Parts: sequence; structure tokens; C-alpha cells
Amino acid sequence: MSIPAQGSPVWSRLASGGLSRLQTSHLGTQMLIKRLELSPAPPAAKATEIYNYFVKWERSLANEVAQLNRL
Amino acid sequence: MKSPNSIASDANPINGLMPVDAVADLIRAGATLSLAGRKAALDRLPAGAWIAGTSPYFMTAEGGRVVDDDVLFVTDLGSIGPVSFATYDANELDRISGDAPDSGVALAVIPSGSICHSEFAKNAASYPMAFLRPTVGWISGYDLSQDGECAWAYDGQVATAYNDRVAVAHITLPEGTNPIIEIVNIFSADGGDVIRFEETGFTPGTCLVNGERRVFSDYIVERGREGGDLPLVGDFGGARVNASIKNVDVNARTVELYAPVFPGVDYSFAAPVADYAADFREALADHPFDGAVWSCNCILNFLFGQLEGVAIGGVAGPVTFGEVAYQLLNQTMVVIRKD
Repeated sequence: MSIPAQGSPVWSRLASGGLSRLQTSHLGTQMLIKRLELSPAPPAAKATEIYNYFVKWERSLANEVAQLNRL
Repeated sequence: MKSPNSIASDANPINGLMPVDAVADLIRAGATLSLAGRKAALDRLPAGAWIAGTSPYFMTAEGGRVVDDDVLFVTDLGSIGPVSFATYDANELDRISGDAPDSGVALAVIPSGSICHSEFAKNAASYPMAFLRPTVGWISGYDLSQDGECAWAYDGQVATAYNDRVAVAHITLPEGTNPIIEIVNIFSADGGDVIRFEETGFTPGTCLVNGERRVFSDYIVERGREGGDLPLVGDFGGARVNASIKNVDVNARTVELYAPVFPGVDYSFAAPVADYAADFREALADHPFDGAVWSCNCILNFLFGQLEGVAIGGVAGPVTFGEVAYQLLNQTMVVIRKD
């Protein structure tokens, strides 16, 4: 499964709380989830950060990418 | 592709203890190294392509060791990929990840007790590139049986020790290779009280225990945890991140931690661990170490677990005063692998 395009509503959903429902044992992803939960950044900035993160680590995050459209 | 400065064979990348004179020869031959050992040993090395930190404690395949100043722990960074070196002061710590290669990691050595240590601990997760160009590494230490020692980080390019700067090796991995950064934490939440803090810091005065404000030192004593053998375990998106107790002054009602606590994170005390070595062996038995290139483990595990002379499996590496995997960790083993 490939990463949704940057304009996909998936990323704004993740930035608005959906990321906390992601099931993952990937350390960096777990820590990113907490960082974004605590961050005062606006949702659009969080959505961009999440998109860039998944693009960078797509190959290591197959299980997580498979969940994106369900969150 | 292996870096031209690698002195390892593909089958046997160097990651272990070596005599100081042999390490000096490697440096003169142009090897690219990460080193750890006593200051007296590191001070004997020539300038070259290396970084280092002080610690006399190590985990090896044969068991935990406390070394003298005749050996150093050597990791051949050239077998991982091309490396560049840098040092940063406390105002430049975001550049540890910011200057890292797009494909690779930053391996950082941070002196224990330095302003760099505390600033990195509080802010690492908020650096702009923290999760795109990950930082791993360790907090350097010293021999706890010796009075008056302190921790150092070395910039090998000028063979200089710093107690107020971070030494970093920026390692570029081969194209198509990702770093896999993993932790082995034998501690888990005890399932009892949920503890929260209202400020970021190493010295919390108060906490919220199941929503009720308490003096933190009083609460620790009430729980019988002032000995510091069991850390607080924080829930970071499902990752268990420890904050270990350094000191509790019952009379002054103060607490000092080895890592900061953060608002918005649920903490619990760790459940008791009966046998550290057995728990590590169990945790590591099923752990894949294919492609492992570097590791470290915590001095508190070494001491409380009585690991000197005790083998636990896993990858050899320095025993440290704090571990880094994206952010500061405590009482945790960190392993870097290439996928």
C-alpha cells in the first residue's frame, strides 16, 4: 500500500487526533505521536510533519501505512 | 558500500575492547572510529577521525566489565558508512539532527552533568529534524568509585576533550538502507498509581497522583522507592521511557532525577525486577541483531543488576550515564541496526 498524496484528508485527520489510534511498536513513531500530542503547532503544520515522516520512513512502516486510511 | 575508511571485514565489524596502542595505530591508519574508555586512555590518542566519551564500564559478550586505562572500546564507524564529525555547544543542539545526513543517523556523545545534557534532555524531541534524521548515542560518565571525576566528550579531529560540548559523528548509510533504532527496556509500569507532572524538569517538587497533588519526595518515600532501583516509566505513545531516581532528600523534601519528566505524560513506578540479567537475557533472546552496528546500556542496570562478569547477550557496547534514541532515555539498552 502506498502513501496517500500530501493533499489527502488522511493527514489532517491524523493531525487532529487520529495518530493516537495508530497501532505501532516502531519507537520513532511512538515518540513522534507523543511529541505531536504535546505540541502547540497548528494542525496544518502537524499534518505536514506527519506526511514528511511517513514519506521518509515508508519502507520501515508497512504495518502503519496499512492503517492510515482507517484512522 | 563500505566506507574506504573501514578497517573491518564484512563478516567481523569491530565493536569491542582493544589495547590503546592498537587503537592509536588504527587512527594513524585513517580508520573512522567511535571510542569509549577512561580519560587517561583517551588522552593518549592522536588526532584523527574519531569521537569518544568517557566510561570505564562496558558490556561485552563475556559479561559486564570495568576496564583500566590500557584498553578502549572501539566501534568501526567506517563499516557503517561515510562519516563526518562535529561538536556543538548547548545553544546549537538542534543541529545534531539538523546537520545529519538525510539518509543516516547522528551518533552523539554528551557529557553527564553538562548543560548540554540537561538541555538535550528537555528539548530533543522538539528539534525540527528529530524524527527525520534520528539521533542516537550516549551520556558519557566516569568511575563512580573515584572522587572528583567528571564526564568528557572528545572531538578526535583535534584530540580534545570537552565537558561542555557534544561530540557527534554524522553517519551516512548506503542508499536504500534505513537505520533501525530499537530499545530494550526491562521495566514496565506497575499498573498502580498514575503520576503526572506539571512542569518539565529533573527536580519536580510536586506531582499529581491519580489527580491528587502531592509532594513528590513524600510520595516516593511512601512508596518505598527512595533507593532508586526502580525508575518511573512514562508512556510515550506506547513506548516505555524511563526517568530514574538519582537522589531523594527526605529532610529537604527534594528529588533529583537522571532524566526530566514532562507534563502531559502518564508515569508509573516500574514493577519490581527480581533478576535484571535474566530479564535482559529473556528480552534479548528473541531480539533480531542482524545488522546491529552499535549499542549501549545503562550504568543503573549495570549496578542494580550486578552485571559485572555477567553475560546477558545482545550487542557489546559502553555502559552509560544515559542513553539516547531520539531523546534521552534511562535504564534502557539501545541498539542500532541497518535494515
